[in-house]
Amino acid sequence: MSEGAAPAPVLTVTALRAYYQTRLFGIDRDVRAVDNVTLHVNANEIYGLAGESSCGKTTLIKTIAGAIRPPLKVQGGSVEFNFHGRRVSLYDKNAPDLADIRWRHLSYIMQGSMSVLNPLRRVRNSFVDFAFRHIHKPMAEFLDTVRAHLLRLHLQPEVLDAYPHELSGGMRQRVAIALATVCRPEFIIADEPTTALDVIVQKGVLTMIREVQREIGSSLIFVTHDMAVHANLCDRLGVMYAGRLVEEGPTAEILREPRHPYTAHLIASLPRIGDVAPKKALEGTPPSLADPPLGCRFHPRCPLAMDICKRENPQMEWVGPVHRVACFAAQPGKRQ
Amino acid sequence: MTAPLLELSDVAKVYSIGGALFGHRLRAVDGISFEVGRDGPEIFAIIGESGSGKTTLARMILNTAQPSAGKILFRGADLAGMRDRLGFMRQVQPIFQNPFEAFNPLKRVDRYLYMTARRFAGAATQAEAGDHADRALRKVGLSLAEIRGRFPHELSGGQLQRVAIARALIASPALIVADEPVSMVDASLRMSIVNLFKTLRDDLGVSIVYITHDLATAYYISDRIVIMRKGRAVEAGPARAILDNPQHPYSIELKNAVLSPDAAARLYGNRPIME
Repeated sequence: MSEGAAPAPVLTVTALRAYYQTRLFGIDRDVRAVDNVTLHVNANEIYGLAGESSCGKTTLIKTIAGAIRPPLKVQGGSVEFNFHGRRVSLYDKNAPDLADIRWRHLSYIMQGSMSVLNPLRRVRNSFVDFAFRHIHKPMAEFLDTVRAHLLRLHLQPEVLDAYPHELSGGMRQRVAIALATVCRPEFIIADEPTTALDVIVQKGVLTMIREVQREIGSSLIFVTHDMAVHANLCDRLGVMYAGRLVEEGPTAEILREPRHPYTAHLIASLPRIGDVAPKKALEGTPPSLADPPLGCRFHPRCPLAMDICKRENPQMEWVGPVHRVACFAAQPGKRQ
Repeated sequence: MTAPLLELSDVAKVYSIGGALFGHRLRAVDGISFEVGRDGPEIFAIIGESGSGKTTLARMILNTAQPSAGKILFRGADLAGMRDRLGFMRQVQPIFQNPFEAFNPLKRVDRYLYMTARRFAGAATQAEAGDHADRALRKVGLSLAEIRGRFPHELSGGQLQRVAIARALIASPALIVADEPVSMVDASLRMSIVNLFKTLRDDLGVSIVYITHDLATAYYISDRIVIMRKGRAVEAGPARAILDNPQHPYSIELKNAVLSPDAAARLYGNRPIME
C-alpha cells in the first residue's frame, strides 16, 4: 500500500500474538487465540472482522482494547493508536494510563447491552458514570450535551429516566451505542452488537451505527460472524480462522471474488431469499487452538489442500492493491 | 385422507399479569389455526419477531402449556384430554435454542442419550441404550465414539445442537418442534443443521415445526410458513410464494429488513451503504 500520501491509520496492529496460558496440574497449555495478526484501520472507516466462534475474534479485540486479564497474555507484537497525532502504543514500556484513553478516544459497544447498563440505576446514571469525567463540563451542561446527542440519534431524552429493564432489547442497544459515542471517540469497537436482535430491530441498529460513525467521523471495528451484516455495513473486511487472519480486502471485492477457500465457503453457504439451490456445509470442526494442525490451519477441511499446506504456514500476501490472502492455492507462483 | 399430524384451531393463550385489581391480560397467542403434515412430512416454519408469541405456541404444541381457548389436535386426539403423556412425548420431541442451556454442564452429554433410549426406545440394558444412541448420532453425522464421556463445554455449539437433535431422534418421533435451533449457532455451521432438517424430512419422514426469525433459512428449507405478529397470524401459506411476494405490510417490512449479502457486490467501488 502507498504510505505517505494517505493519512496515517488510526489503528495499527503489528504481528500481534496473544495466548491464553494455563498451568494446571503441572501441564502447561498455550491456547494461541491470536497468532501473528497484522492489520490497520484507516480514519473514518468501518473495518469488519468475520469468523466463527472461538476463532479468536473476541480475543483480538480484547487485546486491541487493552482489556488483558490472566490467563490471557500478550506474547509479542504491538497495538498502536493514532488519535489525531497523539500516538499511543498499548504494549510498550511506557504504556499510557488506559483510563484516560478509554471512552474518550476508544469506546466499545458490547453484545449484551444489559450487562453494560447497570440494572439498578437509571440510564442517566450510566451516562454520568461512563462519560462525565471525560467531558469537562458542569453537570447541567453535561446532561444538555447528552440530551442533544440522544436527539441526534433519534432517541427521546426521556430514556435517561428509565431503568434498563423498562426498555426493549433494541432500545437498550441504541442506548448503549449512544453511550459509546457521546464522547465522540476516534475509535469504536463493536462486538456482535446485533446478534441477539431480530431482523427489523437489527436493521435499525445498524443504520444508527452507520449514521453515528459518519457524523463523528470515527473509525469502527465491527465484529460479527454474519457475512450479510458485513456486506451491508463494512468498508473493508478481515476474515479470521483459528487465530489467524486469512483474508483481508474491500468488502465488495471479497464478496464478489473471495480468494481464500474458507471465505469462499462462508459466502457460498449464505442462504438467500429467492435461492433454493442446495448449500453445502463445511465438513469437520474448527481446530483446537491449544493444538493447531501443522502448516495452514485450514488444510484438514480445505477442498484445495495440497502437500505444501500440510508443511508450511502460508503468509499473508498481496493479491490486489488492498487485498491480502494467506493461502498457497490463491497465491500465484506458489502452486505445487 | 386421515387426520393431519398436528392441527391447531383458533388457539389462544392469555397471561394475566399483576393482581386482580390492577393487573392486565396479555394475549400472547391470539386465534392461531394451522395444520402440519396433512400430505406427508413437511417443514412448517413459524416466523416472527421477539414477543410475537412463537415460543408460547411451541410450548402449547409440546403440551407443556395449555391453551386458554381453542384446540390442539395431535393425530386427531385433543392434547387437553391426553392421558398417555409418555406416549405423546415419544412422538413429539423438542429442540431448543441454546444447546449450552439445554444440557446440564455438569453431566456428560451421552447420559442424556442413554436416558432417552431407556425411557422412549425401550432399551433395557446399557449396551442397547448405547446402540440406540449410536444409531441416532450417525443420522446427524456424529458417532458415539466421538461423544462418549464428553461434557457440554468440550463440544462446539454446532456439535452440541446436533447431539440435541440426535437425542430427539432416539424416540423416533413423528414431529420435532425446533425453537430457534440455529440462532445461537455460527453461520458456517448453521447450514449443516438446516440441511439436517431437510434430510430428516426426506429420509426419515419426520415433520418439523421450525420456529425462527431468520427468513433466509426459512425460505431455504420450509414447505409452508406462518408469519406472526403480536400473537396473531398475519400471513400464512406456501413458504416460497409468500416470501417471494409478501402481501401483508408487516411481511413486506420483515422481508425488506433482511440484509442481502449481495448488497456490497452490487455496489462495487462504492461504500456499501445502508439507507
